[in-house]
Amino acid sequence: MIGDIFFQLSVRSVKVNFTRSLLASIGIVIGVVAISCMGMLGTNMSLQVEDQLSASANTIVITSDAIRMGPPGMGSSSSSSSSGISKTQLNKIKAVVGTNGTVIPLYYTTTQFTSGNTQGRGSIYGMNPSDVNEFLTIGNGTNIAGMNEALIGLTLSDTMGINVGDRIKISSASEGPPTNNTASASRATVTVVGIIDTRGTVSDSVSTDNGIVVSKEWYTAQYGGKDQYTQVNVLANDVGDISDIEDQIDTVVNTDKKKGSLRISDASSQLDTISSTLETLTLFCLAIGGISLIVAAVSIFNVMMMSVNERVQEIGILLSIGTESGEVRRMFLYEAFILGIVGAAIGGVMSIVIGYSVVDAMIGTTEYFFTPTSIIYVPAGMFVGMVVCVLSGLYPAWRASNMDPIDALRSE
Amino acid sequence: MTDTPLISLVDATKTYHLESGDFTALNHVSLDIMENDFVAIMGPSGSGKSTMMNQLGILDVPTTGNLYIEGRDVAKMTNLERTHLRRDTIGYIFQKFYLIPLLSAYENVEYPLILKNKTRDTTGRASAMLEAVGIDKEKGEHRPNQLSGGQQQRVAIARALVNDPKILLCDEPTGNLDRKTGYQIMEILCDLQRKGKTVILVTHDPKIAEYAQRIIRLDDGRIVES
Repeated sequence: MIGDIFFQLSVRSVKVNFTRSLLASIGIVIGVVAISCMGMLGTNMSLQVEDQLSASANTIVITSDAIRMGPPGMGSSSSSSSSGISKTQLNKIKAVVGTNGTVIPLYYTTTQFTSGNTQGRGSIYGMNPSDVNEFLTIGNGTNIAGMNEALIGLTLSDTMGINVGDRIKISSASEGPPTNNTASASRATVTVVGIIDTRGTVSDSVSTDNGIVVSKEWYTAQYGGKDQYTQVNVLANDVGDISDIEDQIDTVVNTDKKKGSLRISDASSQLDTISSTLETLTLFCLAIGGISLIVAAVSIFNVMMMSVNERVQEIGILLSIGTESGEVRRMFLYEAFILGIVGAAIGGVMSIVIGYSVVDAMIGTTEYFFTPTSIIYVPAGMFVGMVVCVLSGLYPAWRASNMDPIDALRSE
Repeated sequence: MTDTPLISLVDATKTYHLESGDFTALNHVSLDIMENDFVAIMGPSGSGKSTMMNQLGILDVPTTGNLYIEGRDVAKMTNLERTHLRRDTIGYIFQKFYLIPLLSAYENVEYPLILKNKTRDTTGRASAMLEAVGIDKEKGEHRPNQLSGGQQQRVAIARALVNDPKILLCDEPTGNLDRKTGYQIMEILCDLQRKGKTVILVTHDPKIAEYAQRIIRLDDGRIVES
């Protein structure tokens, strides 16, 4: 192609009108950058969420469908039949799981707390200290050993400046579901003995990054509801067994629908929902990027029409001395292709630079940036940019090749 | 050489449909041009000279009547066949030279060879043609706008000849040149005719027309002298 006289004519035409051609190519650059960056941003988001959710892919989450009316034991109006997962249900779950996994019952609610003069609010989880290491990682400090000891999430530690050895006053009033004990809220103090590593987005609803973990004894003493668990996590030994375990649990615990059933879910359903949402979001962003390519296409079309109109006499010469219509058409398509390839090449390089910065700034990690599903948006954006350019050149090229050589030669 | 005319225009009429009404530029014209003829077409402005040149150059076809080139009816050819006939059989020399501005003098001469062979010239024919019309290698690297009018017309002649066409169509080839350069160009054309080319020349200048063996005068779309 490079040795083709028509390609050389196109290159020279672009050089003669360098500024105009460059400006038209900039449109393509913007379009390619927009499409690539939007695509990469969406993909990097998806990959990050997928990775985080996949980390807990072996987890089955069991929650109660019934609305918890108030912490049992903290008021007279509580109804034990409508709150949480009962000890009987837990035992049934344990029996089903057996040695195929680990069953972790836990309590949680949202509450206010104070450390020094700083007030905060977040989730508080009550669990058996021996279960903590099953799915949480203590980065600094030790596990809960005594009644008044607590672990806190790394984000909470950073934002409130709480360290191991600090004390936190925790309100006894739950902010979660409506309670009837707000008026009688008191504060109990715990000592931080460990900091839990960041968990990020997880499928099991145990978001400890901004939360506090205490022993189940301390929790039930503070909020009541002994043996009425908020949630039970089942960590299956083999991910392949998850469906079977879920079915068996469903069979044994959801026998009486009138009494309210337990909801059993795992990461895959959440992953599907989040992936679908992110996919829609990415498509929407790509469409916005596509608009800039349409604008670029109009600009390329305009430049190509100008090129044809300025070279009418030259086209007349070419046609009159025996150039085929197809060869004239090819010459102008080459010109559009050159504008496209220049724009796409610059756009591709800029997409990597800008995309990397945007992903780093918005997602906080570039870990997934160079994965094939992410970086593919750069060549894809370049390809779309080039196709748009060539398509924009189709009509001008057709017009040039169909000129009457006599009229074209006469034009000044 | 045969008795069959190289070009034969038979009762050809060319009518343009204008908003102001139909305009007949050529009116029932018949003309035979034999191989190796040197024909000058003369006539006042609007007499139909350019229209006749467009017909003879297969850039246009008659509205009625027929045009035969080497015995082939042009009207029955496809556009692509006409393009190939133009490329291989006819060399054009224009008053305004009409060189391709983006190509060097050498590339302008090489261009018809590329059209015909679909590849760059490696035989040296384009260079030889340029040298034959007095353009050296150094001048051959220049773009048309870096050459004088006479040099441009020489390049145009080299371009017209490079595919060894039988017919040379010259539309006022000396019109944009000074008298001395004009005569030099005419000498080149006479020499080409002597070497076997058929030269058809449109001119206003009677002195230039004197170089031709035969003068055809047109007026109001009709041949008034042949």
